[in-house]
Order: sequence, then structure tokens, then C-alpha cells
Amino acid sequence: MNYDELLNISTEIGYRLLESGGEIYRVEESIQRIFEAYGIFTAEVFVIPSCIIVTVCDEDGHSLTKIRRIRGLGMDLEKVVQFNALCRRICRERPEFQEVHREIRRIDQCTGYTFWQQLFAFALISFSFTLFFGGDLTDACFAIFCGIGVKLVLHNMSRFEANSFFTNIIASGTAAVIALFFVRIGLAHNSDKMIIGTLMNLVPGIAITNVMRDIIAGDLIAGLIKLTEALLVATAIALGAGMAITLSQILL
Amino acid sequence: MRYLSCLYIFMACMGFCIVFDIRSPKHMVVASLGGSLGWLVYLLASGLNSDLLQFFIASCVISAYSECMARVFKAPVTGFLILSILPLVPGNGIYYTMEYCISGQVDQFISTGMHTFGIAGSLAMGVLFVSSSVRLFRTIRLSRQKTA
Repeated sequence: MNYDELLNISTEIGYRLLESGGEIYRVEESIQRIFEAYGIFTAEVFVIPSCIIVTVCDEDGHSLTKIRRIRGLGMDLEKVVQFNALCRRICRERPEFQEVHREIRRIDQCTGYTFWQQLFAFALISFSFTLFFGGDLTDACFAIFCGIGVKLVLHNMSRFEANSFFTNIIASGTAAVIALFFVRIGLAHNSDKMIIGTLMNLVPGIAITNVMRDIIAGDLIAGLIKLTEALLVATAIALGAGMAITLSQILL
Repeated sequence: MRYLSCLYIFMACMGFCIVFDIRSPKHMVVASLGGSLGWLVYLLASGLNSDLLQFFIASCVISAYSECMARVFKAPVTGFLILSILPLVPGNGIYYTMEYCISGQVDQFISTGMHTFGIAGSLAMGVLFVSSSVRLFRTIRLSRQKTA
């Protein structure tokens, strides 16, 4: 049994699951199951949102450890589906390691939605949430521009690999400025509804719910890390929008 | 008029399907319907006069829905659950909390913050309640199969 290769593929799959939005328990279980499929029951797995640690003991009693550092969790649910399927296939068929590496590369190369589709999605979300929070139809139509502005900022900032705190400040500031502009020239009516509707693109609502879920389920460190991250994101968004609104009150 | 918001939620969820990269159109529609269902249950339960209880019930319903759909479509429950719970999560709550924090309104900050965590907690309780029951059920069935 090639322990090194097994350690490599299990950690890689775990890394990709976690990076694309898989839950902590799913990642730990997947890695454990891959080892068990190859008949190894001595694996220890520890996963938190910023790091994966896997240790396995071979027949001679030597311990092998692999640490994989993770920077920035994303949300790519298609990849979660694909890697989950790959994991199940490994457990069922126990394919060659070469084959698994090929599969990982193939899934990595799948491209997601195009930039224009994402732009459309941001516009749609701003439009619907403005209506949802009680804005009228004209507000919602102009909120589309706020959504587009937010996506353009996020896209360009990620190209320059800017810090995410800073990115969120600029993005939410842009949303607020566009909304205030349309209200100022008299086309839209409720700037607050437009702003919160657009900011629903950015707010860490899912994150804060996952925090409580992790903490209740017993993953305390994972919960605390995600809580800090969620609060930071929320602070950045509030700062950006707050600065734009204060500035407009001073200037106008 | 009140129930029109379910339609808005459906549209917003379709948008989030693209942002979160769900590619199969069937999954997109099913997950977005879950979002509307969650909000509908929340609205229907408004007679209870306790929003934490409303959130808990809605989250139980959509967790059960997501678990069923995950088995129907043979896909991980994550995607369905995240999309369905989207309209309920306190995204605006956490935003207002930090806004009060920055502007120095301490009373508002604490009360909104506690309420936001309450909502997040009751949603999480609902999800865990259903997923733990499903696991328990599966373990019992497996152990019965072994002894039989």
C-alpha cells in the first residue's frame, strides 16, 4: 500500500471540498472514508476552516502527517457535488491513484458561469430583494444598477488580489453611492430599501447561520473562526455604506 | 400581497444559484422552490407571535425538504440547504448590528445583535434537529439489518 499517495489524494479531495463550501463534518468524513476504503483504520483527521491536518500510521508504526493550509473559503456548490461523487466512487471502486489524480484535474478545469451571467445574477438579486424589503418597482429597477456596480467592483478588485475587508468597503460604498444618486436626481424613491436590497449580495447571512450550526454540533474552533470572519465582513459592509451616506449628507 | 414576497424570494434564489455555481437547471429550480417554501412556512406560522419559533419551524420544514431532495436527485444536501435557507438567514440583521456598532448606538447594537444571534441559533437548531434525526434513523436501520 502506497501510504504517501493515499495521503496526498485524500487531503487534496478534502481541501477542494472545504474550499468550495463543503461543511466541516463532510470534509472530515470524506477523508476518513477514503482511508477506510483502502483498508486503513488508523487515520486521524482534524479540519478547521483554515487548515486540514491528516495523520496516518503505516504497518511499521511510522506516522505520516500532511497539513494543508487554506486561504479564503469560496462557494462553488457544483464542485462540492462533483468531489462528493468522486469520493463515493473511490469508496465503491477503489480506482488507481493515477485515475483519481486525473479526475481531480478534470473537475478543477471545469469552468463555472461566465462573468456576464454572474453580472445578471447580481442584478437579479438586487432587483428581487429591493422588492422584498418593500421598495416599489422603480426602486427595484434602479437597484439593478447598484447590483451591477457591486459585481464590477468585486470583479476588478479580485483581479488585483485586494484584501477582502477593503474590497467589501468599496463594494458596499459603491452600492450606496449609486442608490443615493438615483434618489437625489429624483428617479427612485427609497434609497434605504435599494441599499439593503443590494447589500444582500454581500452580507454573510449564511456564514452566521453556519457558525451557530458548527458551534451547536461541537466544532467550536471552526465556529469561532467563521464568526470572526462573518463579523469582519459585516463591519466592512456597514463601514462602506455608512461612509457613503454620511458623505452625501455633508456634501448635499 | 403578503404572499407575493415568495415570488421575489424565488427570483433572488435563482440569482444566488448562479453566484454559488449550481449548474444543473433542475437543481436550481428545486433549490429556489425550497427558498419560497421556507418563507411561506414562516409567513403561515406568524400566528404563533414568536419569530424565533417561526424561524425554527420554517428551518425544520426546509431541512426535511432538502434531505428529501438530496435523496431524490442523489446530490449532497449542502446545495439545497444553503439555497433554501437563504431568505431566512439574518443577513440584514448582522448588517444593521454592525452599523449600530460603528455609529455608537450601543443599546441598539446589543439588542439587534442578540436578536440576530437568536435567529441564527434557531435556524441552526432546526437544521441540526432534522439532520440528526435522519442520521439516527439511518443508524438504527443499519444496525437492525446487521442483526437480522
